[in-house]
Amino acid sequence: MALRIGTWLDERLGWRRVWEALFLRKIPKVNWLYTLGSATLFVAVNQAVTGILLTIYYVPTPDQAHATVQFITNQVTAGWLIRGLHHYGASAMVILAALHMLRVIYHGAYKYPREITWFTGVALLLVVLGFGFTGYLLPWDQKAFWATTVGTRIAEVAPVVGEWILLLMRGGQELTGVTLARFYGVHVWALPAALVMILTVHIYLVFRIGISSAPGKDD
Amino acid sequence: MSDDALTVDSESPGPDAELNRRAFLSSVTVAIGAIITAGLGIPAVAYIVGPALKKTEEDDWIAIGSTSKVELGTPTLFKAKVERQTGWITDENEISVYLLTEDGRDYIAMSNICTHLGCRVRWIEDQDQFFCPCHNAIFGKGGGVIEGPPPRPLDRYEVKVEEDTIYILGG
Repeated sequence: MALRIGTWLDERLGWRRVWEALFLRKIPKVNWLYTLGSATLFVAVNQAVTGILLTIYYVPTPDQAHATVQFITNQVTAGWLIRGLHHYGASAMVILAALHMLRVIYHGAYKYPREITWFTGVALLLVVLGFGFTGYLLPWDQKAFWATTVGTRIAEVAPVVGEWILLLMRGGQELTGVTLARFYGVHVWALPAALVMILTVHIYLVFRIGISSAPGKDD
Repeated sequence: MSDDALTVDSESPGPDAELNRRAFLSSVTVAIGAIITAGLGIPAVAYIVGPALKKTEEDDWIAIGSTSKVELGTPTLFKAKVERQTGWITDENEISVYLLTEDGRDYIAMSNICTHLGCRVRWIEDQDQFFCPCHNAIFGKGGGVIEGPPPRPLDRYEVKVEEDTIYILGG
């Protein structure tokens, strides 16, 4: 039955060829380090799902943000789990993306013809760090407030454009509800859009070019 | 495929063994995927549904007013403030109740919320009836439906009187 449905769909969608191209493609001899990219993707999906769930109760205003986070953590069924997955997933995301990058560096896998995969990967790492930076403010507690105060002041140190960057990030001189709202907007709209677009190119190239084998002594 | 298996020597894993390994690994992958999906999916549903199923507290006696202020034989409107916890917000709600007594001893407390679609009814003194402006519904003095679309009489609260103060149960 499942086979007949599969065939019926294949006649119309041609999904089997897509499936073969994506998952049954030839790969060189690899080891567990080659799973770091997939692991990062897995955590990214986790972040998207739990992040969407968090927006159901979270409200990004100075008078309610902290109360809604407490509500999610202590009152809502499984809220502690959803928030916990998002919280620890954020750290895992940065760690896995960084390890993935190190593996690519050590294997020289960024070289021809994979330069664009590498460039998009670097952009993705910056997007991930942007997620971390903006997401850290959202619980709107003391730690969040002062971390962002310090973080935006670090940006201020940059020569010439520093002060302008600080004003742009905070949405004014002080860290206020304006800052919270724009960090939220960037965290749930701007960065996810950027992530999806860049990730599409990144993964398309992995399927198109294939992955490089580990370099030997003579390479 | 099974024909090929016959020609393979027993020491190296042949196409058949290879196929079994592949089938095994793909079913393990599917199984792990299913476990993770359920592990996140079930809490996710509970998370969304949870607050929707939470009951509002209805076991508090709310002081609504003094017996001396209820007119005999006429529904009289009383208002009381109740503190409500909705989600992460605690705020004061005002509830309005019509109190009716014919003898000064037994009291009826009726909600002023129309049982049709939730508009507020008001007592029309000279016509001796409740009127809901949304769909021209008319209720009698005791809350019974006289005219219009409401499916049932006005809701009643449980009432008790202690030391000349009238309490209603609920919120």
